[in-house]
Amino acid sequence: MAIGISIPRIDAEGKVTGRTPYPGDLDLPGQLYLKVKWAGRAPARIRRIDTSRAEALPGVVAVFTAKDVPVNEYGLIYFDQPVICGPGSKPGADVVRYEGDVVALVAAESEKIAAKAVERIEVEYEDLPGVYDPEEALRPGAPQVHPDYPGNLLCHYRIRQGDVEAAFREAAVIVEGTYRTPFQEHAYLQPEAGVAYIDEEGRITVVTAGQWVHEDRHQIAHALGLPEDRIRVIYAAIGGAFGGREDMSVQILLALAVWKLGRPVKIIWSREESIIGHHKRHPVTARVRWGADREGRLLAVEADVIADVGAYAYTSTKVLGNITMSLCGPYEVPNVRADIRGALTNNPPTGAMRGFGAPQALFIAETQMNKLAEALGMDPVEIRLKNVWREGSRMPTGGIVPEGVSIAEVVEACARAAGWRRTERGWVRPEAPSSPDPMKRYGWGFACGFKNIAYSFGFPEHSWARIELHGDAQVEKAIVFHAGADVGQGAHTAMVQMAAEALGVPLEKIELRASDTAFTESSGSSSASRMTFMAGNAIRGAAERALAAWRNEERPAVGEFTYRPVRTFPFDPETGFSERPNVTYGYVAEAVLVEVDIETGQVRPVKVICADDVGRAVHPINLRGQIEGGVVQAVGYAITENFLVQQGRILTRHFSTYLIPGIYDIPEEVESLILEHPDPLGPWGVRGMAEMPFLPLAPALIAAVHDATGVWFHAFPLTPDRVYAGLHPNRVPGGRAVHE
Amino acid sequence: MPARKGKRTTGAPRQAAPRKAAAAVQPAARHRIRVTVNGRPCEAEVEARTLLVYFLRDVLGLTGTHVGCDTTSCGACTVLLNGEAVKSCTMFAVQADGAEILTVEGLAKDGELHPLQKAFWEDHGLQCGFCTPGMLMTAYAFLKENPHPSEEEIRIAISGNLCRCTGYMNIVKAIQHAAQEMAAR
Ligand code: FES
Ligand code: FES
Repeated sequence: MAIGISIPRIDAEGKVTGRTPYPGDLDLPGQLYLKVKWAGRAPARIRRIDTSRAEALPGVVAVFTAKDVPVNEYGLIYFDQPVICGPGSKPGADVVRYEGDVVALVAAESEKIAAKAVERIEVEYEDLPGVYDPEEALRPGAPQVHPDYPGNLLCHYRIRQGDVEAAFREAAVIVEGTYRTPFQEHAYLQPEAGVAYIDEEGRITVVTAGQWVHEDRHQIAHALGLPEDRIRVIYAAIGGAFGGREDMSVQILLALAVWKLGRPVKIIWSREESIIGHHKRHPVTARVRWGADREGRLLAVEADVIADVGAYAYTSTKVLGNITMSLCGPYEVPNVRADIRGALTNNPPTGAMRGFGAPQALFIAETQMNKLAEALGMDPVEIRLKNVWREGSRMPTGGIVPEGVSIAEVVEACARAAGWRRTERGWVRPEAPSSPDPMKRYGWGFACGFKNIAYSFGFPEHSWARIELHGDAQVEKAIVFHAGADVGQGAHTAMVQMAAEALGVPLEKIELRASDTAFTESSGSSSASRMTFMAGNAIRGAAERALAAWRNEERPAVGEFTYRPVRTFPFDPETGFSERPNVTYGYVAEAVLVEVDIETGQVRPVKVICADDVGRAVHPINLRGQIEGGVVQAVGYAITENFLVQQGRILTRHFSTYLIPGIYDIPEEVESLILEHPDPLGPWGVRGMAEMPFLPLAPALIAAVHDATGVWFHAFPLTPDRVYAGLHPNRVPGGRAVHE
Repeated sequence: MPARKGKRTTGAPRQAAPRKAAAAVQPAARHRIRVTVNGRPCEAEVEARTLLVYFLRDVLGLTGTHVGCDTTSCGACTVLLNGEAVKSCTMFAVQADGAEILTVEGLAKDGELHPLQKAFWEDHGLQCGFCTPGMLMTAYAFLKENPHPSEEEIRIAISGNLCRCTGYMNIVKAIQHAAQEMAAR
């Protein structure tokens, strides 16, 4: 048995000894250092850019501007962002749209010289009007952010199902709310870095940290106007990702410089550059109305959601697709009318981050559920169990929920573990502790959710693996080739386990070669909670073929396999109908106990119970690590991480002002409940899980604060000032507005 | 794959790459310092404004000491200076003149991992591992002072180190475990 056990991570020894190189730890003989000249402002047209004073500096080898980029555009969904902004390339590329646009790239003999040279680049800007509020951006006459998106509308999803008006007329209770969710910064601890060189076969080779080597290669090839086989991408150790490394950061810049200069190059971003230079989680504003009958059965949902997508698309169309399908929670709702729009602004672009739109959607849905429960005098667990999907349920977008629906079991398991009891009158919540300190209040909150596993909406999802069996009478060594990235979650360890399991050979005989385009085909991205699910299926297929070849006496016996899951479908643009938007789902529920200091507004999560249906736990300890890490990152989202942007400028540019949770901020206890209801499509029943623990935390926490204080917060993070103003609206000027 | 600093592996060209002199920008005053790093004495010329962390990483090639921030917030750069845990991004190399420095590379003795390293490995006290060297060095200094810590004391000890991946729980467990191992010796 190689799965279901917690073997030592295969990457741990190198990491505890300091031997494992992260991208910034690599050096090449004769390397040059690269430094970015950022726009640092927005928006404006670049009239003229003068690099002569920079070039004159001894030690400066080159200064690249827009005209040096053959196909000056990149982007995961649309090629809508210039690699370098400025005149001389394609139309529209002469405009900087947010402060993180790149204006020039310096290559110099030392980092210090490169930095000096950046200061000497002179840029003449012509101010353009900006727009920083997504609702304003959608109004007629608003400044146009990007020529590709008229009216600043990136996308508009609609759900039209049933008769919403009639349903609201029948409803016994209707709950309305306006919600706002904040930006969030990934804040992986390792800032963007990398080196590039020309390899033995003449390929432009970029060594960096990302989430999908083949997509990086594709983006580089496109921008340089070269065939993909001229480019090689390798990942060094990756210092966290959380969706923030899905889009390009240093990749194309490194490739451009090594290609132009023929000399090895290196770049390291500072923390500040990292915060400016990559996308964020989408802030969302939502006006919603939910109706239920007297028994608590959901009748109708109406929603109007606007997300700030910032200056470029990144993966926003997909994130908003995810918001669309998560907007009603894991519940049967017969009548839905929803509009979900993405608005361009001159703010930092937004895109993938752990949960991919689900945290925002579920914050709204789950808070609505909790308020409905309150309005009906019903327990929050009780109302959920009346409405959750069952096998055969229909999603609000029309299709049947994929087989393996376990949300009811997950909700019950979590509730019981938290102390909920089932009585004749239904579920009853546990008594929150009371404190002798009259300023301290305690409360319990509950929320649940689901997360799609793998890419969705018609994407040609696939994952490749190859296995070589070496030996004679017995397998002496099994080499597994897989392109997938280990971003820290332990994917490579899981791959080794799954290969050993599929081949029936001991773990020690497995050798993994991963994350290098030179010897792999695409295995897809380490995102969408997909890697274990997809890689497991790919490895299983390759193992079967390799074993067949082995029985055929082939030596080495080679098996190659590309796994393609069931087909998915996009939403109908008018009705939102999709027969199957996603491959499959994982389910999660959380109960949170908080302490609120009503004197200071301090909110402290005391205990979090997180139940996750993972299908099958390949590596239980790593899995618990994902739960604890996901919960703590969500505590940051809900309480401490207050990402501030003013007129497009990020105010929280450092870890001294953008406060990710330290150990004082975390719950005293995180109890992980790992449930294993096998997914019919998963390898050994595996579902993905890395995003799930994040999802219900904010709504559960906000419900707990309500239980403790009687006040609903419709916006977060619950920083002390916001909480204080919400609790004491009369003591603070503008107090009401702060919590709404 | 190119080799990392300070080591040569096949197929990948690499050399020790001390930072190129900054002569092209402006000649900066240089100072000679003597330090003992991981038990080995060394002498070098550094600019007055070179931070200790860059001296370790770029001059000595000890890249196990990481840089995660620019505001003394993360602790990824923590090393021991004369037995005390310091954030090496927050002092100049010249301030370390005459000091004994211990980095993560010096924790293992004669090929045997330190109990802390073993515990972080076995108890999964890491995910991406970028914070790990700083955590290890902080914990190392702490356990020297307090070999039988409570969980609360461990939390206080690592409160200057950030981790974005683990949620800290397994890190605390690993340190507890290492303390027990060390006490049992
Ligand atoms: S690098 Fe963050 S504290 Fe030193
Ligand atoms: S393990 Fe990634 S920052 Fe700690």
